[in-house]
Amino acid sequence: MTAKRDTLRATVLAVWLGLGMVPGVVGAAHAQPADGICVTDDAEREVCLGAPATRIVALSPGVTELLFAAGAGERVVGAVSFSDYPAAAEDLPRVGSYDRLDLEALLALAPDLIVAWAGGNPREQVERLAALGLPVYFSDAGDFAAIATSLERLGALAGSEAHGRAAADRLRGEVAELRSRYADAVPVSVFYQVWDEPLMTVNGDHWISRALSLCGGENPFADESPLVPRIGREAVLARDPEAIITGGMGKADSSWLDAWRDFPELTAVRRDNLFFVDPDLVQRATPRLVEGTRALCAHLETARERR
Amino acid sequence: MSGARSRGLSPGLSPRWRHPLVWLALAALLSQGVALALGSVSIGPDELVRVLTGGGEALHRTLVLELRLPRALAAFGTGALLAMAGALMQILLRNPLADPYVLGLSGGASVAALVAMLAGLGATLVGGAAFAGALASTLIVFGLAHGGGSWTPTRLLLTGVVMASGWGALISFLLAVSPVERLPGMLYWLMGDLAYAGSPWPVLVTAAAALAAVMPLGRTLNVLARGGLQAAALGVAVRPLEWALYLLASLVTAVAVTTAGSVGFVGLMVPHMLRLRLGNDQRRILPASLLAGGTLLTLADTLARTLIAPQQLPVGVITALIGVPTFLFLLQRSRR
Repeated sequence: MTAKRDTLRATVLAVWLGLGMVPGVVGAAHAQPADGICVTDDAEREVCLGAPATRIVALSPGVTELLFAAGAGERVVGAVSFSDYPAAAEDLPRVGSYDRLDLEALLALAPDLIVAWAGGNPREQVERLAALGLPVYFSDAGDFAAIATSLERLGALAGSEAHGRAAADRLRGEVAELRSRYADAVPVSVFYQVWDEPLMTVNGDHWISRALSLCGGENPFADESPLVPRIGREAVLARDPEAIITGGMGKADSSWLDAWRDFPELTAVRRDNLFFVDPDLVQRATPRLVEGTRALCAHLETARERR
Repeated sequence: MSGARSRGLSPGLSPRWRHPLVWLALAALLSQGVALALGSVSIGPDELVRVLTGGGEALHRTLVLELRLPRALAAFGTGALLAMAGALMQILLRNPLADPYVLGLSGGASVAALVAMLAGLGATLVGGAAFAGALASTLIVFGLAHGGGSWTPTRLLLTGVVMASGWGALISFLLAVSPVERLPGMLYWLMGDLAYAGSPWPVLVTAAAALAAVMPLGRTLNVLARGGLQAAALGVAVRPLEWALYLLASLVTAVAVTTAGSVGFVGLMVPHMLRLRLGNDQRRILPASLLAGGTLLTLADTLARTLIAPQQLPVGVITALIGVPTFLFLLQRSRR
């Protein structure tokens, strides 16, 4: 069935998006001694450790990046497929993929902290880990503020509190700087293409849309209710965006953008405002999103110059 | 129906008769041993024995007793239920292409389970929804096939197949409108996957109870398998027996689907494989299906866990990959 094949391709994409909106995935919080380190995770659960974690397993590529950014990189002992940043993460032992964990391989690493991805990991498997008495932190960062908070919390759990706080402050500073630079930017209507077939974009709650709006980008699909709506080409033509930006399949492959040239009446095509951004920089909610946001903002500036 | 080898009406249980069941039971035990011994972490035979006798390292105890044992038992129970349900459906519909899902039961279960997943419900509720969906589908097909008064296996089959298509369309619809991040879990559920199986007890108890329920009916089922008219002529109350079979097979399948999603192939092929070797005596085919189905799914799941570890495969992929060549081999050999 075509529907199934399309959705299969979409699952691959979900890895890159690192998105999830499932609060309170595991109800049973661990009643552990309160004299250690306690933080609140993104599922609003209290996660307590007797001592800083020394053996951490990260259950999504984005979470791995967050841990390294929080200064906990040396304490990460396991990761899932596609955990390719920073370079040191590529050599970590694998515990399956984010959507199918190998619990045996995971337990064999003798972890003392699991950082799970609230929206992406199979709930039953994470619940089983929690039932075996392992502390689980649910990560679900969806914007710059949440990324910064995550850096502080993960730093605290891994005993690299100062590093985590410094990284968080740096991130907040960079975001504030971007925000003030573009405070008076003239709005540009911009379509962000997540996927080609089916055609997918982001709604206004997604961090990509928020990053765009930080420098005057207006998402014509902001009001759609799914975080990553599937839409028709006609809907894009009807809204006639001034610019089209995509992460695409990679830098070498411009076929997604070229496909829009079939519609020369589109403003974005007429002004040649078809742009590419490195998907790794924008499609994962990690500190690298600042770099991605700078790239997005630069493209919007180009679009303004071409008016 | 392989008439030449069928000894359906032979009386009593001779030792020769039971022989294959003993072998199948040994294979079942062996498959459990293999499932406990293999995994992404290698545990030697001596350590495995120590773990099973209450010793061994703490990590190994967790791996074997908390992860592998419940999953191996759930796999066995699920495979046993599916193979038995398949054998019953094939008798009921007198159609060799019948499998536990042919009447749309897995479709009903899938639609309900996907809706539960979309609503963000937990594993237990998804399981409960799947069970309710399976029973709802059973009752709808039952009611529709019953409706006009004149009832035949063909009518039941047609009703079921059309319902299954309807469920299929709803499944595609649900997948199309679901948020991207929910899709992996949904697809794995549709493919059949034991990673999410909870306690193995429901499937094991159901398998034992179902076998106990059908074994006394063995000879009657043999008569029914030869055709409804013939059975009626021999004094079998065909209509009530057929409905009882239908409900039993549905219930059994519902429990299996609730545990592991819709695992394909086992229910269709295992009874056929056994008939090729053992003839078409239901007193032998039904317990043999239970043992062989359980063994096949246990081995398939062990491979699914270990073949490309740490990557995990859905078990449905493996059942077909090992089942198809085995079946074709047996079919080839059986040509007389």
